[in-house]
Amino acid sequence: MLSDFLQFLFSGLTTGATFALVALGFTIIYNASHVINFAQGEFLMIGGMGTVMFAAAGMPLLLAIAAAVALAVIAGMAIEKFAIERAGQADTIPLIIITIGASLFLRGLAQYFWGKSYHAVPAFSGDEPINILGATLLPQSLWVLGSMLILVCLLAWFFERTLSGKAMLAVAANKDAAQMVGISPRFVLLLAFALSAALGAIAGVMAAPITLTSYDIGIMLGLKGFVAAVLGGLGSAFGAVAGGLLLGLMEAMTAGYVSSDYKDAVPFVLVLLVLFFMPGGLFGAKSTARV
Amino acid sequence: MRNWILSGRAGLLLLAVVLALAPLGFGNPYHYDIAIHVLINAIVAVGLNLLVGYAGQVSLGHAGFFGLGAYVTGILSAHYGWHTLLSIPMALVVVAVLAFAVARPILRLSGHYLAMATLGLGILITIVLRTEGWLTGGPDGMIVPPIEILGWQLFGEAYWYALMAALLVLAVWLALNLIDSPVGRALRAVHGSDVAAQVAGVNTTRYKVLIFVVSAVFAALTGALTAHYSGFITPDLGGFMRSIEFVTMVVLGGMASTFGAIVGALVLTLLPQLLTGFDELEMVVFGAVLMAVIIFMPRGLVPSLRTLIGRFLR
Amino acid sequence: MTHLLETSNLTKTFGGVHAVADLSFGVEAGAIQAIIGPNGAGKTTLINLLTGIYTPSAGDVRIDGRDTRGLPPHRLAGLGLSRTFQNLQICMNMSALENVMVGRHLRMNRSFTAALLRLPALRRGDADCRRRAAELMDFVGLGDLTERDADTLSYGALKRLEIARALASEPKLLLLDEPAAGLNANETAAIETLIRRVAELGITVILVEHDMKLVMAISDRILVLDHGKQLAIGTPAEVRADPAVISAYLGAA
Repeated sequence: MLSDFLQFLFSGLTTGATFALVALGFTIIYNASHVINFAQGEFLMIGGMGTVMFAAAGMPLLLAIAAAVALAVIAGMAIEKFAIERAGQADTIPLIIITIGASLFLRGLAQYFWGKSYHAVPAFSGDEPINILGATLLPQSLWVLGSMLILVCLLAWFFERTLSGKAMLAVAANKDAAQMVGISPRFVLLLAFALSAALGAIAGVMAAPITLTSYDIGIMLGLKGFVAAVLGGLGSAFGAVAGGLLLGLMEAMTAGYVSSDYKDAVPFVLVLLVLFFMPGGLFGAKSTARV
Repeated sequence: MRNWILSGRAGLLLLAVVLALAPLGFGNPYHYDIAIHVLINAIVAVGLNLLVGYAGQVSLGHAGFFGLGAYVTGILSAHYGWHTLLSIPMALVVVAVLAFAVARPILRLSGHYLAMATLGLGILITIVLRTEGWLTGGPDGMIVPPIEILGWQLFGEAYWYALMAALLVLAVWLALNLIDSPVGRALRAVHGSDVAAQVAGVNTTRYKVLIFVVSAVFAALTGALTAHYSGFITPDLGGFMRSIEFVTMVVLGGMASTFGAIVGALVLTLLPQLLTGFDELEMVVFGAVLMAVIIFMPRGLVPSLRTLIGRFLR
Repeated sequence: MTHLLETSNLTKTFGGVHAVADLSFGVEAGAIQAIIGPNGAGKTTLINLLTGIYTPSAGDVRIDGRDTRGLPPHRLAGLGLSRTFQNLQICMNMSALENVMVGRHLRMNRSFTAALLRLPALRRGDADCRRRAAELMDFVGLGDLTERDADTLSYGALKRLEIARALASEPKLLLLDEPAAGLNANETAAIETLIRRVAELGITVILVEHDMKLVMAISDRILVLDHGKQLAIGTPAEVRADPAVISAYLGAA
C-alpha cells in the first residue's frame, strides 16, 4: 500500500516539476506583458528534440543540451521581436492567436527538419532504479526535481538580487511607473521571453529521458503548464510552482487509484473546479473593479 | 442608400446571390465538398462571433460543442436507431443543456481565466469522446448514417450544398436581426462597458449566458449536420485546434462583423487547400500566415474594407 | 418633506478601512443634492453603494421606502436609479446614438424571439427609441453628433453623452459622479445649465463634484464627507458657515 502511494508520489512530483517549470515560463511572460504565450510548450520540445539531434550529430551530451537551450532562447526572442512586439497593443484574443501561430510555426519547423518519429534521450546517470520502501525511483526523476529546485532558487536570486530582475518586477508591478524611471519595457519583454524559453528548454531536456520526445509534445505540455499557472493564480511565481506540483500529483494519483484513461482530463477538471469557486486561482490576488 | 449598404441587408442579399451562383463555377464533387466545409465553418463562426465579437466573451472550446453535437446525433442514429429528424434536435438539446449548465460559473470569469475555462471544457469533451470507446468508437471514430426523410436519403454534394447555403443565409439573417435589436445592443454594451450596461438595467449575466448557449447551439447544429454529411466522425472534430480555428476565423475576418466571420471561414478553410503544394512545410506556412495577418490587420479583413467603402460613399 | 432616497448607518469597509462610515442622510424628491469632500473622503464609494455596484458592510439604503440591500445594479435601474461615471464608461464599440439607446434598455421590448425574427412591433419600438435617443442627444447639446462612432467624440462630448444615456431610462434619481471634472470653464458653465434643466424635468439629482463654484451655485443641499464620515449637511449657506467644514477645508490647506 505504502509502496504504491510512494510510487505515485514520485511520478507525480516528477511530472509536477516539469509542469511547474512550464507554468513559471507562462508567469514570467505574463508579468512582463499580460501575454499568455501558447508557444511555451514548444520550448520544451526544442529542448528535448534539439538535444537528441545535436547529440546524434556527434556533440557530447552536455554541449548538445547547451546548444538546444540556446536554440530555444533564440526562438523565444524571435517570437518576441518579430511577433509580440509588432502586434503592439493588440487585445487578448488576437495575441492568443499570434502565439498559437508561433507555436505552429515552430512545431512545423521541427517536423520538417527533425521528422515525426519519437526519440529517446539516454538517462543522465543510468537507468538503475533506486528502491525506497518498495517503490522505485528513477535517477532521472532526481535530475528533474533537482533542476527544478535549482532553477527556482536561481530565479529567486535573479529577481531579488540583480538589476535586470528587479526591473522585471517593477514592470510587472506598474508598467508606466517603471518606464518613467528609465526601465525599457521592450528590454524586459525580450528578457522575459529568453528566460521562459530557457526554463522550458531545460525542463524539456530533463524530462525527455523519462517521457520520450517528438515534434508534437509541446501541445499538451504547454496546455497543462497554462493550467498550472492559472491554478496557482496568473502572475504568482509561487502559485505557478505550487500549481505545477499539485497538478502532477493529482494526475499521478488519479492514474494510480482511479483510472489511467482519464489522466489527461485531471488538469482540466481541476482548473474548472478551482475557477468556479475561486475565480482568481488558488493564490491569485482578489481584484475589485474600480469605476 | 449608404445606411442600407452598411446595415448589412445589402450584404445578406449579396451573400444569397453569391451562394446561388457559386455552383456554376464548381467543376466536380470535390469543389462542392470544399464549399460545404466553408459553409459549415462559416455558420459556426457567425454564431461564435455573436459571443466573441459582439459580447466580447472569448471561447477557446467551441469545437467541443461542435463535436458533441456530431456525436450525440451520430450515436443516437447509429447505435440506437433514432430517426435523424429526432436525433439532430436531440443533439441541440443536449448541447444547449450542457452550455446552460456551465455558462453561469464560466462567464463570471474574464480575460485569460475565461480563455482557460472554455479551453478546458472543450478539451474535456474530446477526452470523453476519445475514451468512451464502447459508445463513440474511441480515437478511430465511428460511422454515421445519412439523413433520411420519408425513405429518401439526403445524399450527394449538390443537395448538401443547397441545405448548408440556406442555413448560412438563415444564420446570417438571424444574427443581423439580433445585433440590431435591444438584445443585441445590450450584448454589445456588455463588451463595451459591463458596468455601464448593468447601470442601464441590463442583466449582464443573463445576456452572457443567453448568447453563450445560442452560439453553442449554432455549433451543435452544424456539428450534427456535418456528422450526417461526412458519414464518419472522429473526436478530432471537437479538438483544441478546431476551437482555435473557429476563433481565428472570427478574428481574421473582423471581430463584431457577421460578414467578417464568413470571410474568415472562407480564408481559413481554403488556406490549407492552397498550401498543399508546400507539403511538409504546410504547418510552418500556416503558422506564419496566421501571425502575419493578425499582426498587420489587427481589426480583421472586413472592418478595414468597410471603413474604406464608408469613406467612399460619404 | 418626502425622502426619495434615504440611508441609515450606511457603512462600507475595505480590508478593515472604513471607506464609508455610519452615514445616515436623506435626499428630498426633486432636489439637487451635492456630495463634497476631499479626495479619498468616500464620495465615489458612496455612489457605488447607492447604485448597487458595492454591497454595504452594514446599514441600508432605501429608495421610496424600499430596502435595496442586495439588489444588483440592473434591478436598481428598474427602481428609477441612473448614473454617470467619474472615469467614463462609454461603449466605444458602438455609435454615440446607440450608447444612448442602451440607456433605454428597460423601456424596450427585450424579447429574444422578437429580436431574432425582427418582428414589426420590435422594429417600431426601435425606431421610436432611436428618435428619443436623438432628442436626448439634442437636449445635452450633441444634436449634430448622432451619426458618429463613440470613439471619435471629444472628452467633453463623452461626458455629455453619459448624461444623455443616463437620462434615456427616464430615471427618478440621477447620480452624477464628477460631471465637470476635466472640463474648462465654458464647458463647466454649460454642464451647470444642463443640470438645472435636468432638475427642471423633476428628476432628483445627486451630484458628486470638486468644482465648488458649480456646487454652491446649483445645489439645494450639500453633504460634506471626510474620511467616510458625515462632516456636515445643509444648504450651501449653512455648509459654508460650518466651523467643521471650514477647518477641514481651510485648516488643512
